[in-house]
Amino acid sequence: MHVSAFKIFFQTGAWLVIAFLVLPILVVLPISFTDTSYIGLPKEGLSLQHYANYFTDPDWLNATWTSVWVGLVVATCASVLGTAFAIGCWFLSDRAAMVARWILITPILVPPVVQSLGFYRFWVKLGLIDTHVGVILAHTLLALPYVSISVFAALSNLDRNLPRAARSLGASVMQTVWAVVVPAARPGIATGFIFAFIVSFDEIVGVLFITVRNVQTLPKMIWEGIQDNIDPTIAAVATLLIVLTLIATAIGVLRRT
Amino acid sequence: MNEPILSIKNAVKRYGPVNALDGVNLDVAEGEFLTLLGPSGSGKTTLLSAIAGFIALDEGQLALRSADITGKPPEHRDFGMVFQGYALFPTMTVRENVGFPLKIRKRSASEIEKRVNEALEMVQMSAFADRMPSQLSGGQQQRIALARAMSFDPQILLLDEPLSALDKKLRADLQWELKDLHQKLGVTFIYVTHDQDEALSMSDRIVILKDGAIQQEGDPNTLYDQPRNRFVADFLGKSNFLEAAVVAGSGASFQCETKGAAFTLDTQTPCREGETITLALRPERLRLGLPGEEFVPGTVKQVSYLGERCQVLVTREGGDEFLVSRPTWKTDITPTPGLQVSIGWDADAPVVLAPA
Repeated sequence: MHVSAFKIFFQTGAWLVIAFLVLPILVVLPISFTDTSYIGLPKEGLSLQHYANYFTDPDWLNATWTSVWVGLVVATCASVLGTAFAIGCWFLSDRAAMVARWILITPILVPPVVQSLGFYRFWVKLGLIDTHVGVILAHTLLALPYVSISVFAALSNLDRNLPRAARSLGASVMQTVWAVVVPAARPGIATGFIFAFIVSFDEIVGVLFITVRNVQTLPKMIWEGIQDNIDPTIAAVATLLIVLTLIATAIGVLRRT
Repeated sequence: MNEPILSIKNAVKRYGPVNALDGVNLDVAEGEFLTLLGPSGSGKTTLLSAIAGFIALDEGQLALRSADITGKPPEHRDFGMVFQGYALFPTMTVRENVGFPLKIRKRSASEIEKRVNEALEMVQMSAFADRMPSQLSGGQQQRIALARAMSFDPQILLLDEPLSALDKKLRADLQWELKDLHQKLGVTFIYVTHDQDEALSMSDRIVILKDGAIQQEGDPNTLYDQPRNRFVADFLGKSNFLEAAVVAGSGASFQCETKGAAFTLDTQTPCREGETITLALRPERLRLGLPGEEFVPGTVKQVSYLGERCQVLVTREGGDEFLVSRPTWKTDITPTPGLQVSIGWDADAPVVLAPA
């Protein structure tokens, strides 16, 4: 069978791109099972010692727990505020609302370093440096646009006469929002909540700027681990995160089909 | 008229330099089927929104049974409303949608159950109670919207072009149903539409609006037979317009002339000798004859076959055009383009229009 050079070229190219995308992630897998005490490939045999270390070291566990609860608080705050904002804009739907929407998504447009610098300057004034409140506030700001964008999307096809219908049927403005608009926005709120959690859980630049010793999140601990003690536990943590993500994605895909 | 259920006094609504409502006065009788008819931009929807309480009037008052409701929020007016796009709550089942106004009013679960069943029965949708709105067709959704707007016994039912999103056949069916429902329930209906057929077939009374002002109001028959001005004569049905000079006559009978053709005009509208008047002539009141049979000679320009009726466009010397509508069973003349004909009408057929 004749295979054209053209086809070979593109198939090779495709595989190269996939390798480029996936290999850097997969390289942590063998490292996490290394039997050495530094970052490197296994020498004599495979070992679970670094996983054991992760699950017994209070520093790692605390950092993980901090990231989780901060992420949940951030996701909750951002979901409430972002949803309220999006619903308000949906009700107005005029020029002012459009301007407000653009202003709200600036956290996505501004480079993280610039924004973190701003947080740093501002948080110093407010005395929020190296506090959990400071991190939660900063992350909520960063996560807000993701929530409001997904709620906007959920509301975009909603009939604008619905609030009128509800009110003509006897519902007050608040009852209308609770009974009619929020239920319709629910899928968007759920997506926004997940996004907000991921934004916070994953965030490193801001955390490096506004925390010192008091607040230790998982990304920061990984970053610092790389810097000074080249501990393979990092690879174990990374592998665990990859596995968790894969499981979550698989559940999501299975539920949809 | 007894005490009106709804009374609108000098309603004015401005949008920038435009007056969407320009001093509307209207009384609605209890149990009436009133239609607000007009082209887009005529202010009919603005008026309905003001009645519902969605927009605030710049001037004027609204009274419900003599009680002022001008500043009352919509949720306290107790008017049911049906929208063009149905506006069913997408996250609620049909049953929850219809029960919504009752739930808001904190009625007991058993009463809600009973009322919802009655309302669904009324629109013949009982079998669909547990569906979601998205699983229903347009006509079915509009029935549910109707049941929802009626389930709490509203004072007035407001309908904002409820049938215009539906196809023609379904629209005709629902017109009958709406009229039926109105008769059965005796609730006051205020119906907004731009469709003259809808207005003519269902209403007790029609109010024709243009540029935020009432042009004419009355029962369908009166409006059709006695249009007051050119706009009404043209908007409600089709009309031929004709300039004529009053040559002689007094009381209710006049001799008139139009471009050499003389005819008699019987009208209650006072006319003076020597005056030029504008007449409206319904196409179905025009007679078509062979040359010399009638008094206005002309040439057939176009013929349009519509099944039960046939429309013939006739040009008169001097450029005037007449639209003649005649039953297709009439075979005395077979109009074809180019045929020489003549046109005539009964002395009481023309309507004298108010000067524009």
